[in-house]
Amino acid sequence: MERFADLLIAAVLLAGLYSTMAYGLGLIYGVLRIVNLNHGGMIMAGAYAGWYLHQALGIDPYLSLLPVAAVSFGVGVLVYRLLVRRLPRGAAGGVQSLLLLFGVWLMVRNAAYLLFTGNDQTLRTSYATRALSVGSALISVNRIAVFGVAVAILIALHLLLTRTYVGKAIRAVAQNADSCTLVGIPVERIYALTFGLGTALAAVAGLLGASLFPFNPTFGASELLKSFVVVVLGGLGSVAGTAVAALILALVEVFAILVIPAYLTAAVGFVLLVLVLVVRPGGLFGQRVLASSCDSRPRSGRVRRSGSWSPARSWPSARSSTTTSTSTTFSRSPSSGSPRR
Amino acid sequence: MFGIGGFVAARIQLSLGMPMLISWAIGAVVAGIFALIWGHPTLRLRGPYFSIATIGVGEATRLVCTYWDSFTGGSSGLSLPMQTDLKYTLYWYGLVLAALALCASYALRRSPVGLSLLAIKSDVDAASDVGVSSTRLQDLVLFLSGSTMGLCGGFYASYFSYIEPGDMFGFDRSISWVLMGVIGGIGTIAGPALGAVIFVLLRQYLIASYPQLYLGLYGLLLVMVILFEPLGLTGLFLRVVHRARPDLTVGGPVVEGPSPAGGAPPPAKTGELK
Repeated sequence: MERFADLLIAAVLLAGLYSTMAYGLGLIYGVLRIVNLNHGGMIMAGAYAGWYLHQALGIDPYLSLLPVAAVSFGVGVLVYRLLVRRLPRGAAGGVQSLLLLFGVWLMVRNAAYLLFTGNDQTLRTSYATRALSVGSALISVNRIAVFGVAVAILIALHLLLTRTYVGKAIRAVAQNADSCTLVGIPVERIYALTFGLGTALAAVAGLLGASLFPFNPTFGASELLKSFVVVVLGGLGSVAGTAVAALILALVEVFAILVIPAYLTAAVGFVLLVLVLVVRPGGLFGQRVLASSCDSRPRSGRVRRSGSWSPARSWPSARSSTTTSTSTTFSRSPSSGSPRR
Repeated sequence: MFGIGGFVAARIQLSLGMPMLISWAIGAVVAGIFALIWGHPTLRLRGPYFSIATIGVGEATRLVCTYWDSFTGGSSGLSLPMQTDLKYTLYWYGLVLAALALCASYALRRSPVGLSLLAIKSDVDAASDVGVSSTRLQDLVLFLSGSTMGLCGGFYASYFSYIEPGDMFGFDRSISWVLMGVIGGIGTIAGPALGAVIFVLLRQYLIASYPQLYLGLYGLLLVMVILFEPLGLTGLFLRVVHRARPDLTVGGPVVEGPSPAGGAPPPAKTGELK
């Protein structure tokens, strides 16, 4: 029973990290319809940035959160302006955006190898080895801090998306980019901003991860895959959805340790994903990551919960679809929109 | 699929002692079935998410197979017995295989099945309205590509006489095939072959001359190709042909992106140039 409580707490704390990671990916996909394969690269970059600042300048990683976030926001905007913007929009851009961002990831990885060598690094602060006892469990201070930061970020994101003009603009663009230009929202700028925000979230997640795990330039690959699992499980709809899905993944992973050897836990996420897809093709929350047979027909607006946004322009909830597994291929012609230029 | 095919073939040769070709064939079939089992549910995901799901399946398979060391030999891998003259005979086998693959894909392109596949590529819903069963055809494609990779895996195992899960299932290897396709031209027939030749030559050169810049140069190449000529070398070739002979209608890949014919509707299939 004590073991159970330990694992439960460990899962909850881990879920914080996973939800931050997943949110960056989900945001970019929701608004730009692009899967940011460079997500892994930025996670790794954030980890190295925090580590380097700690090594060279002695800055505590939690203090360097804001500067790292700001710089990676800038990097994201730059990547968008230079590269992503030139991709054709709509379905044709699908494969190309993947490959393009993957190329960027390769370059980032190479830069890391050149600058920092391929050895494993760890971020050890003076308080890294301390642990607090919460009830019967002994939890390291790092994990609690990471969780705290993750929760703060999620709350901030929620507030940003619901209370500010920028947040509402982002949600609007996610719903229907063409209508936004009619209303006067600078769509291209929102795209750049969202890409920057997603990148910043990835870097912050990497920084947090660096304080928990050792890392090397290949760090970020399995984190990317886990973020993806979280997004498909239910993270596109809202901050709360991401958090719940992250919690589910973390719980499954942590409790799977009881049954299977530790290093197979990364595989657990995928098995979970495929199981969910087979049993409930709509994901856990009926998300719009999935295809349905009706998605070429535009729908009138649905009532949305406040704080959530619909990344689907004209995708009905997959729950209402009675399809078999029809799916899109990469080069589907865009059904309801003109190219976004 | 590569890994599955390779390991199944190697295992069969080691444990059951069957001849090479049969073990390749069995490896191919097993790999195809494996692709079908994993691919079918993930077809429900939209395009880019489908790709990431397949990446995930690859990683999960790698982990599981590394752990399953009675089958794959764990991190130490499997070694096949070396034979003299093997590489020489295998070279010819490989050439034959490549030619067969090219002919098969050309034949597929021309067949009714090929037309249905092209229809699905353009618009799944419209295709299904016309009566093209997208699920069955996608399963067929999964099985075909899986078994081809499995065959290649078996071939690779015989050729190098040593395979191990980290490499066979590794992400870097998987992505190298995508790169070959991209460089040569996705969706064309000659494209991947061309891309493969160039990729291998480039890789040997890079490893020899600039080993520390290898990844970055790949990334840069990928970015450049995507930004400037998404169809790779075949796209360049088609562009040149269109400029030189605008009257010639060229059968090419069905593209949604920037059309090489400068805004003209997708080229009709009146003539197959490639």
